[in-house]
Amino acid sequence: MGFNGISGIVNAPGELPWELVLLYFAVAIAIAFLFGKKTGGLRGFSTLDLVYIGIGAAFSVVWEFYIGAFLGKFIPSNPFINVGFLGRLLIVFIVAGLVRKVGTGILSLAIFDILGDLFHYGFGGEPIFLIYESLTYGLFVDLLIAATGGQPFGISSFKGISRARGKTTIAKASSGSEEEEEYSGNMYKPIAYGLGAIEGAIIGALWAFPDPLFYDGFFKPFLYGGYVNWGKIIFTIEAFLPGDIIMGIIAGVLAIIIARAVGQ
Amino acid sequence: MVFWSFLYEQSLTQNVLSWFLFFYGVVFPILLLLSVLGLKGFLEITRYESGKTFLYKLNPLTKIIFGVVVMIVASTTIWWIGAILTLAVMFLYFTLTNGVRKFVYITILNAITIIGGTWGIAPYTPTSILQMVFPNPSSYTTVWVWPSYFTIMGYEPTLTLQALIYGLQISFRITAVLDSALLLILSTTTSDIFRMFSKIKVPLAVTFSILVGLRTVPRIFELFDTSIKMQFARGLGYNKPKIVNAFYFLYAGILAIVPTMVYLLRGAKNLAISADTRGFRAYNSRTSLVHLSIGKMDYIMFVIIIGLIVLDILANIYGFGRSIPYVGF
Repeated sequence: MGFNGISGIVNAPGELPWELVLLYFAVAIAIAFLFGKKTGGLRGFSTLDLVYIGIGAAFSVVWEFYIGAFLGKFIPSNPFINVGFLGRLLIVFIVAGLVRKVGTGILSLAIFDILGDLFHYGFGGEPIFLIYESLTYGLFVDLLIAATGGQPFGISSFKGISRARGKTTIAKASSGSEEEEEYSGNMYKPIAYGLGAIEGAIIGALWAFPDPLFYDGFFKPFLYGGYVNWGKIIFTIEAFLPGDIIMGIIAGVLAIIIARAVGQ
Repeated sequence: MVFWSFLYEQSLTQNVLSWFLFFYGVVFPILLLLSVLGLKGFLEITRYESGKTFLYKLNPLTKIIFGVVVMIVASTTIWWIGAILTLAVMFLYFTLTNGVRKFVYITILNAITIIGGTWGIAPYTPTSILQMVFPNPSSYTTVWVWPSYFTIMGYEPTLTLQALIYGLQISFRITAVLDSALLLILSTTTSDIFRMFSKIKVPLAVTFSILVGLRTVPRIFELFDTSIKMQFARGLGYNKPKIVNAFYFLYAGILAIVPTMVYLLRGAKNLAISADTRGFRAYNSRTSLVHLSIGKMDYIMFVIIIGLIVLDILANIYGFGRSIPYVGF
């Protein structure tokens, strides 16, 4: 039975060696702490950031456990499209676009995980899931924020940008709000959207790996004694990739649009 | 052999009925959900309402421990213990404020979870997994034979009674945990959850985000509901046959995502300002007038929890342990 429903099986056939998993998470925690030290950790987040993260996490919970879970039943079970998961990807990217501080990803996923426990899973298996989800999915988003210097998807602050040239190459009608006009001065729009799409695609692709690799390959046997099938793991990664990349592109662009609509 | 076997032996009836089953099977829980529970029902079983019965007096930590133990017992014992646990926890909903209504909602939610869970698992479960529970594949009762091209969608060639039982068994594990998890949300004030997280030394910033999320979940259902109704009020699906209404509902639901999100995120600023003006995070910790205490009720609950653990151990000793491998879902 183990502790809190964790069986602690580390020698199932085909299971990823625990040393490797430990090494990954040790490095991930080190990176997280390094980031935290640089940016002031939780103090670096304003109250507004925390509210955004809370709302984003709540939306992910509603999507993954209620709305998306039922929408997903309209599609035959397949490894290519996972409505619940793709919705979470979208929402987390949008939150990252709004907050734009290193640590957003980890914190969002951590809060999502705790809310998911409160509303759906109960706290069984914790803290494994908390560590696993925030230091894989969350960390990838934070790496993007760090790599872009706090401007994920090419979104920088909308404030204080002077209006320039006023190029309106994109025919699609937009709200035409003030933020929108200010924004158009910041970067040539197709480039802005293109950049958002590319960054979204890269992180989306990264999001395809943790679940098959870490969950199916290690945590499932570790927690519940599930069996490991490497053929399935490799196929699942390949099957996840297109959907996650496409959703990453959509999420990258949508993050720009929503950040603009919210005026953040 | 089942008496309706002639239906799947004929190619025409097999195809028609398979597709009907395919849609009926997947759509049925959704139709049930939309027509009976509605989004307002979700709002009601994810939101705290004040009350005075014993569940409201319990320490939130006790409720969490209860949830965890229910999860452990349900996942390490034979399926019918999970089913009994589900039923027992469901009856606890009667003690809540508006108990009868909440009981009806949780019953519907459980029914949807069970039907959806069974249907989501049974047609895809290969014999190799079923064999771990029901060792003799030749004794399986075939309930339905799918057309051969259904395998493209990941369906097994035949649907057996054993696969259905397997799906049902797994879904009882989900419902037991779901019911006990929601019990905490329904009977604990956000302030008490805040105190609980503070007590276990979760940083203030994290606790704050969790609480924002906790309060936002029922609100999302409310906003979704409004947004969908507004679209219908503006004439979506007007004069169309009633049968396609569910699809319009889904369409309106998808369209409602972005407006709901933008609305919530825009409102975030007011929330942040009101928290800041009340001196949020001026200090690292908060002083609290109310202290979470462990009362008589908690001790009674601890006895029940210990009883559950003993039950788990006994069940495993007497061969009523987990008979299904956990394949995950």
